[in-house]
Amino acid sequence: MNAPSGSPKLQREGLRFFGQIAAGLSHELSNVLNIINELAGLQQDIAGAATDDARGAQAGRITDLAGRIRAQIERAEGLNRRLHAFAHTIDSAAVAFDLADLLDLLEALAARAARLGQVELRIHRPTTPITLQGDPFALLLSLYAMIELGLAAAASERRLSLDAEPASGGARVTLESADPLPPLEEPGSVAPALEMGRAAWGATITSDGGRETETVVLSLPAIAPTHRSENDAPREGSHET
Amino acid sequence: MRPDRVLLIDDEADFLEILSERMRSRGLEVRCATSGAQALRIAETETFDAAVLDLAMPGLDGLETLRRLHEVQPDLQVMILSGRATVKTAVEAIQLGAIDIFEKPTDVETLVERIRAARARRLAEGDRATQGQIDEILKTRGW
Repeated sequence: MNAPSGSPKLQREGLRFFGQIAAGLSHELSNVLNIINELAGLQQDIAGAATDDARGAQAGRITDLAGRIRAQIERAEGLNRRLHAFAHTIDSAAVAFDLADLLDLLEALAARAARLGQVELRIHRPTTPITLQGDPFALLLSLYAMIELGLAAAASERRLSLDAEPASGGARVTLESADPLPPLEEPGSVAPALEMGRAAWGATITSDGGRETETVVLSLPAIAPTHRSENDAPREGSHET
Repeated sequence: MRPDRVLLIDDEADFLEILSERMRSRGLEVRCATSGAQALRIAETETFDAAVLDLAMPGLDGLETLRRLHEVQPDLQVMILSGRATVKTAVEAIQLGAIDIFEKPTDVETLVERIRAARARRLAEGDRATQGQIDEILKTRGW
């Protein structure tokens, strides 16, 4: 996909629009799933009432099908929750949030890419709550870019883990790869998405290799610098869907 | 004993139709409203043990409907059944007197159970209010 064009403000507005529409569609999709869920429930009710008569076998089959419909609904609901949570990461560029919640979302969003790349990805929640203040979307973008870096470098071992811990009042997020990672010192070697997120958070990126595993570390302040003045406040039209 | 009476409020007519059928088959008496305004009109003329209310609705949203429902029927036991209630909205709903918050999809058995419990709670609150009035009369009349 091409990079978005125009001024940063336009890009931000574009993302806000994207988030709003995605959240709205997610809500509508959820409504449809709820109706299908109730229909499956009604089917079960009807089948349950018919189990004593001669059509017991068919009733059992209907119950079984209803159960399978429900299982698929649960699956779709899970996907939809992620879409909804992802859409809402764009709501505010200056908001306090729990890093563990963002890592849960990251794990859900990155699971497909890891599965397709046949890489075992483990994301561990921090053992203590870490509250950060800033742009969750920019951080999500950075963390996802870190994982993409690891996925692209996966070779024989194909194992990645991402850990977070409190550090210097903020947080340190470490991506560890069982395969060699590309050196970050070379100009242009940091992916644009990772660099944008790093800049938005005033974070630092370091890498370390040569042992059994290689790491990329993103060190984050507790509060991101507020350099996008026009977007620091909660955005107008932030949506609750 | 009369059946438990519930008012279902959700702007998704299909959802209401199916859920109400499932509740009726479990012995509940169900009325449906597809908007907050319609729910208020119904609540002005009929009493209910409980109301099950969606939050995201066009026109009067769930929270405003909740507030106005309690103006019409102060002892109405209102439960929220919503797709994506945020913590903030859930807190507001509880502050406005909602007794339960459910996230869709919710098991109908659980919902029916809570509606039955809500009726018992409403009756108990009514008894307490009546007892309070009796105590007040006994005190002021000096009998």
